[in-house]
Amino acid sequence: MFCCNWCSYAGADLAGVSRFQYPPNMRIIRVMCSGRVDPVFVMKALKEGADGVLVTGCHIGDCHYISGNEYAKERFERLHKIVIKQLGINEKRVRLEWVSASEGKRFADLITEFTNQIKELGPLKVI
Amino acid sequence: MEGSVLVIGGGIAGIQTSLDLTELGFKVYLVERNPSIGGRMAQLDKTFPTNDCSLCILAPKMVEVFRNPNIKLMTYHEVKKVSGEPGNFSAIILKKPRYVDETKCKGCGDCAIKCPKIEVPNLFDMKLGKRKSAYIPFPQAVPPIYLIDPELCLKINKGVCGVCAKVCQAEAIDFEQKPMEIELKVGAIVVATGFDIPAEKLTSRWGYRYNNVVSALEYERILCASGPFGGHVLRPSDQKEPEKIAFIQCAGSRDLHEGVPYCSSVCCMYTAKEAIITKEHSNRSQCFVFRHDIRAYGKNFYEFTQRAQKEYGVKYIQTKISKIEEDSETNDLIIHYENLKTGEFNDFQANLVVLATPLVPSNGTKILSNVLGIELDEYEFFKEIDYFNKSKSTKDGIYLCGFCQGPMDIPETVADASGVAGQIAAFLNSVKFEQIKEKQLEVPELETKDTDEPRIGVLICHCGINIGKYVHVPLLAEYVRTLPNVVHCEDNLYSCSSDSQSRIKELITNHHLNRFIVASCTPRTHEALFQETCQEVGLNKYLFEMVNIRDQCSWVHMDDAEAATQKAKDLIRMAIAKSRLLKPLREELLKITPTALIIGGGIAGMSAALNIANQGFKTFIVEKESILGGNLNYLNVLYPTEQNASDFLNQTIDLVEKNENIQVFLKGKINNIRGYVGNYVVTIADSNSKTQDLSIGTIIVATGGKEYKPKDLFQYNNQNKNVITQLELEQILKEKGKSWLTKINRITTVLCANARQLEGITYCSNICCGNSIKNISLLKKLKPELEIVVLYRDIQMAKKKYEEYYRERRKDAIFLRYDLENLLIIKQINKNPERYNIKFYDTNLQDFLEFETDLIILSTPIIPADNLEELAKMLKVPLDRNGFFLEAHVKLRPLDFATDGIFLCGCAQWPKNIQDSISQANGAAARASRFLSAKEITTSGIVAEVDPINCIGCGKCESICPYNAIDILESVKDFEDISLTVKKSFINSALCKGCGTCAATCPNGAISIKQYDFDQITAMIESYLLET
Repeated sequence: MFCCNWCSYAGADLAGVSRFQYPPNMRIIRVMCSGRVDPVFVMKALKEGADGVLVTGCHIGDCHYISGNEYAKERFERLHKIVIKQLGINEKRVRLEWVSASEGKRFADLITEFTNQIKELGPLKVI
Repeated sequence: MEGSVLVIGGGIAGIQTSLDLTELGFKVYLVERNPSIGGRMAQLDKTFPTNDCSLCILAPKMVEVFRNPNIKLMTYHEVKKVSGEPGNFSAIILKKPRYVDETKCKGCGDCAIKCPKIEVPNLFDMKLGKRKSAYIPFPQAVPPIYLIDPELCLKINKGVCGVCAKVCQAEAIDFEQKPMEIELKVGAIVVATGFDIPAEKLTSRWGYRYNNVVSALEYERILCASGPFGGHVLRPSDQKEPEKIAFIQCAGSRDLHEGVPYCSSVCCMYTAKEAIITKEHSNRSQCFVFRHDIRAYGKNFYEFTQRAQKEYGVKYIQTKISKIEEDSETNDLIIHYENLKTGEFNDFQANLVVLATPLVPSNGTKILSNVLGIELDEYEFFKEIDYFNKSKSTKDGIYLCGFCQGPMDIPETVADASGVAGQIAAFLNSVKFEQIKEKQLEVPELETKDTDEPRIGVLICHCGINIGKYVHVPLLAEYVRTLPNVVHCEDNLYSCSSDSQSRIKELITNHHLNRFIVASCTPRTHEALFQETCQEVGLNKYLFEMVNIRDQCSWVHMDDAEAATQKAKDLIRMAIAKSRLLKPLREELLKITPTALIIGGGIAGMSAALNIANQGFKTFIVEKESILGGNLNYLNVLYPTEQNASDFLNQTIDLVEKNENIQVFLKGKINNIRGYVGNYVVTIADSNSKTQDLSIGTIIVATGGKEYKPKDLFQYNNQNKNVITQLELEQILKEKGKSWLTKINRITTVLCANARQLEGITYCSNICCGNSIKNISLLKKLKPELEIVVLYRDIQMAKKKYEEYYRERRKDAIFLRYDLENLLIIKQINKNPERYNIKFYDTNLQDFLEFETDLIILSTPIIPADNLEELAKMLKVPLDRNGFFLEAHVKLRPLDFATDGIFLCGCAQWPKNIQDSISQANGAAARASRFLSAKEITTSGIVAEVDPINCIGCGKCESICPYNAIDILESVKDFEDISLTVKKSFINSALCKGCGTCAATCPNGAISIKQYDFDQITAMIESYLLET
């Protein structure tokens, strides 16, 4: 899971401070902005055995870097359309979500829901 | 004039004001009579309402003070004499003998280990724990220097022993030390002496003499992982876990006969916190709060007390206590009380009783007031000369901050402390930076080459029990030691404390480390501290990496220790993978435009503007209305001083208009904000819609709040002229005077009208009770035969003078309590003249009551100003769930946004009264002018870099860069027989913010982001997925 430093990572911190419990299956990689997340990182993670990848950033309009998350969104749509579908990977395994610094609860709920969804889909078999 | 300040008291108030003062250009002498700074906050276990570990958020600030070259830390010193004039004070300071040479002591603690086992109660643990003659008040003490208790020491008293001197390798023990007097010259003095908890002064009724009745601060120590019982909740008599714990509110407060007459203001909240933490420690425990009114005075505080009840099952009982006695066989306590809801007299048996005892000015306040020649108020707190500027003592040049001035919580103290710094900066403006020296790194940076083998050190933090209870730290350390390139790994209780900083430096030097990792809490609060530590021994700060195993492991997987430990292992391994590839980075300096923009021209905005302008900086105020003053324009009389609101407002407006450094835009609108800290360009439209661009260095948000209009609730609508809100009443009182009341005989005030609900507006606005009570007495003065009924839920009068103000006016009305379970039913029974019938459930009488009234005044909540979303977007700062602006940290950064260079104050942050708005405004002004005073700031080393060989000059990066930091430049390149023009991307690192969008966009992978490089992130992914 990728978290931007300003909103989502802070949201994860707030989930911690608030003691909102969620499944222990994901690992956070902190980046400064969701705009930093190169689609190659997502593909790399899936290739090496991740069953799902979650990219999170500030809500549209709230980006600490003005518009980084908008580029993240654009890039993501392309990634979904071209790569994920063509490779036959269920698109639910790769998601882009917005979590703000004040959404600790949403962070925890999102991880819970995403983890459950991935569990339902089962392990990803890369051909 | 002297460019230096004497700060008396090293608690959070003194710490904050000292840190801000140095940044504003003043040398600080911080005098603390105890051997360590930290004050009461260091003794707390957690802080409300986030339940952050108190010492974890305080320790970095303590360490910052210790390292600041412009703060002369004088612990174990006392102020003996002060003379001179404002701007030129002379102070005699007594240095008490520690019998340990401060310059030699390394804080190793060998002296305390070998000191013979004659022990006395430890004051830091509220006498629940013990210490020896050679001691340090607590492990994270600052400075980390031991001392010897002359009353206990065998060598000093009897001339025998002296074993400490023999074991001290540093030869720091000095039995010959004598008290010493030091003279200081300072321009201003800050008093920040805090409070005491003299529980032993309570009379027998509260049972404090029994072993198992403890004060709330004693209970904080019991809860604390580093406390006397190691974080196990045990009761003092038999050190067994108590099951039934009773928390007694107002034990000796708000009482004219014993204890103190005022409300200590923070007890309702810390009690809710202590009850919640007790439940977290042990689910079997049952917590009962014997309460009076609930006074949760602060942002989202009321909801916190509700959470304690709903989520944690803490039982609140509205009671009056008659006596607490001990059952001598079991040492349990019997509480005799009256249940105010049922009227019954009951007995309650508890295993442990925690008393919310009065908080009083600290011991020695009276002596200090004589030394300084300043006055005390009727409660013996330091007296402010002007109610609406609580920072000013009765003598010019001497300022007050924090609890020594009156009861307040930590965020208010911190805001107050910054505000004092701002006022001093304006007062001593002509001499700022005269006595300041720049911090110089003593050790030159060590060179780390790409070819050097990574030598990584890892420190894993227990964070008291915050991590250690849920993550198996020793196992984790053992695992980390097996990983490649890890030269050293160890774990400790608090990695953030000053002794740990010394340890990190020692490790880096002794093991020749060229990378360092701390696995503890969040880098958002602690990364800077550890980076600075690394820098001090010559390790480039970008070779440090942090892993968050608290917020991401222990706190969110509390019921699965194994999974939490496994996750921590993975996260540390990933960080090590990244760490191997880290490179040392350089930083650059950026100029600051010396101007400030204040958004909002109410009392908060104007106060902030005046402070900054008086520090010599050009300041702009943008006000959306056609006049300055905001809500104050609609007020009639101010409480508790009862001065005329217009007079008060006009004085301030006059100061603003006469100030040469302030320019006001009335009917102004902000169209656009571009740029970043120090260099904003703000487009403002004036009243004629003409736009202009302003160059701005820093921005303060002071957009205020407004009264909620309860349309169609409580019979409030356009037709009914006799159902009005408090603000409407203010206007009527201001404009109409007495005649208006001729036909009115009974008035009903409804408090909490649509506030503190289960849905919708769930919060308490804090200020409505005081305002309503003021208006009751004004109405009564206008027409003494009026009958006034007040329907209330809790009376929120939690400030120094409020309790008395309320008590004096209680006779002016009949106060009846209702609750949320049975809502008021209001019917109109006559149209002209208007008359209403109100039916409600009186919780004191336990019955439904019905009565008629001619006029209804609704105290509705304060809500955020209009259109804040738009502004928040332009500023790129967040709003909270109620629509107020969200500060960077609710406890220790109440006036900052997470974004550098933007600050907030007043009702934009949360509903607050005028006194607090002004205090916050001064604080925000101080926080903002730190940037302006600095003239330039250091940019981050985390920037993008182009590899010109791979760059194809396509220009994609240029088109998407949000900061216009990228240019495509043409250059002529010579090949063997031909010269060609080639395009290459070029990054201006002063403008680059390191977001990395360009790197992810580059089709050729030619852009790298320092610290978040392609290889580094890939290594983390591989490390997680391939190395398990």
